[in-house]
Amino acid sequence: MKPPETTDNRMALPSTGWLTQVGIMAWRAIVVNFRTPGAIIPSLIISAFFLFVYQAQLGGVAERFLPEGHSYLGFILPLSVVSAALGGSSIAGQTIVTDISTGYFDKLALTPVSRIALLLGPMISNATVIGLQVLIMMTIGLAMGLKPATGILGLLPVIAFGVFLGVGFSGLTVGIALMTGSPGATGGAGFMFFPLTFLTTTFVPMEQLTGWMRIAATINPITYVLGAMRSLLNDGWAVAPMLEGIVASVVLFCGCFLFALWGLRVRNRRA
Amino acid sequence: MVSNSNVTAQRSSAPHDGIVVESLTKRFDSFVAVDHIGLEVQSGEVFGFLGPNGAGKSTTVSMLTTLVQPSEGVAWVGGYDIARQPGKVRQIAGVALQEIGLDPLLKAMELLTIHGRLFGLSRGAAKSRAEELIHLVDLQDALDRPVGKYSGGMRRRLDLAMSLVHQPRILFLDEPTTGLDPASRRVIWAEIRRLNREQGMTIFLTTQYLEEADALAARVAIIDAGKIVVEGTPEKLKSEIGGESINVSFHNDETTGRAEQALQAAAHSLAIQKIQVDQRTLRLYLKGAASAVPAVVSHMENAGLRPQSLTVSKPTLDDVFLRYTGHRYENEATTSYNGASYEDASQGAVP
Repeated sequence: MKPPETTDNRMALPSTGWLTQVGIMAWRAIVVNFRTPGAIIPSLIISAFFLFVYQAQLGGVAERFLPEGHSYLGFILPLSVVSAALGGSSIAGQTIVTDISTGYFDKLALTPVSRIALLLGPMISNATVIGLQVLIMMTIGLAMGLKPATGILGLLPVIAFGVFLGVGFSGLTVGIALMTGSPGATGGAGFMFFPLTFLTTTFVPMEQLTGWMRIAATINPITYVLGAMRSLLNDGWAVAPMLEGIVASVVLFCGCFLFALWGLRVRNRRA
Repeated sequence: MVSNSNVTAQRSSAPHDGIVVESLTKRFDSFVAVDHIGLEVQSGEVFGFLGPNGAGKSTTVSMLTTLVQPSEGVAWVGGYDIARQPGKVRQIAGVALQEIGLDPLLKAMELLTIHGRLFGLSRGAAKSRAEELIHLVDLQDALDRPVGKYSGGMRRRLDLAMSLVHQPRILFLDEPTTGLDPASRRVIWAEIRRLNREQGMTIFLTTQYLEEADALAARVAIIDAGKIVVEGTPEKLKSEIGGESINVSFHNDETTGRAEQALQAAAHSLAIQKIQVDQRTLRLYLKGAASAVPAVVSHMENAGLRPQSLTVSKPTLDDVFLRYTGHRYENEATTSYNGASYEDASQGAVP
């Protein structure tokens, strides 16, 4: 049987541009995410809780190791930002795993939408949620007496670091969601964030760490993102820590996004 | 039963805009879900793809709609190669899968608008099309509810509407009425007929309901254990069975066996063309079955056989399935559906 010839007499449908597709997918994910506040609020509450606890318990002793003029709030707040960003980064994965279980992911896959747009939509929505969470954390910090060395304007790059970090890690949860299709496994990805958050300069500066912990903190990219944010809040506009933070964030983002693409490839190949 | 021959007979002007499948195969590890099937669906045709659960219907649809990659074989949908031109296939095909794929948190208008936008409609056009489809599937009273709160029938209707949002040339419906109540099923049937009649849409319909294929499809293929066992128009397939049948049921297997032997011996004199054993029922295929009943009854009485029941029926796709697969079409839904309407319409009990 020879291949059939196409005789499409109907007017060809206009195709949707790639950016528009990403925008549509992002808008849809934002609507869905904000209709399930239960998925957003817990990580915000936990981050705010730890900020209060750390500040209350360690703020007094922090003067021993912090340089003069540095506030412990400016030191510990970035940890809460990282915590909120990483905690919130599972939202994109949960959106995709829910779509897979309801069959909506297949429904979308039957349209001409770009496969990358299917991934980016939930990730961009995740960025919105994380941005909001980080903004709230910063507001709480200001309410607790934070006086950023770079002024209010300096909060913007801190928020940007948080958002970029969270969106990057959402690629990890998206990849796991695509590979497993399992809500449990996707939710479990959150446990991977613990070593990243605690094997770093969590409570004290690098100079105070020794032994294996110092080695772990040195190779942990989160250390440099924390360092950049702390520098903005306590030191002022310093180029070196900012660049280190940007490089670490980009490396994390690219690594996690490649993992998400690999997850998509695994899912497609399995089909 | 609705005659289907007039539904599609007039539309065959562009046959290669239909579906062509050659040796299509799908393996999942060592399990062969679809085994080198071949078929051709003409443009504007309603094609019924019939088979029990697990026969390979949904896997075939998933391959033809680019959702699943074939392990072997080739297929063209609307003239486009499913493996090499999946994007083109997606643009011209509408798909309503067996598993309804809706986001439970969104509302019907939102879902339809998103779908329209992804198929290239402008914001305004997508909204207008969504409103049109909402009315078509009669969901205008449920617009303020997220679809997670819809009933099964409403969700199925919305899913169908989503598959129509871009006015596809070819529509794949994978068991579109499974799990629906009779009223909702009638709505879907009417819509399938309308789409085919008014828009000349090619429709590839998989179903586990024999009556559904019989009522809607101009041609059917029966798939069993991943292989197509027979293909043709329902009329032709049924006529090949050999006309009407007398169905005689007995209380036990032993009596059924004795009756079979007795009737085989008298097959020539009773003009019985074929005897098929279906558990404790003997199906005697012969011309003029109703008028032959007295002779059959008399012969059984002489042999000391007392049947439990006796009916006369026209051949159904169930008989076709039995003939080509060697086993009955076992499906609870079909059984109940037969009991509700189909057998009532086609089969008369003999007093």
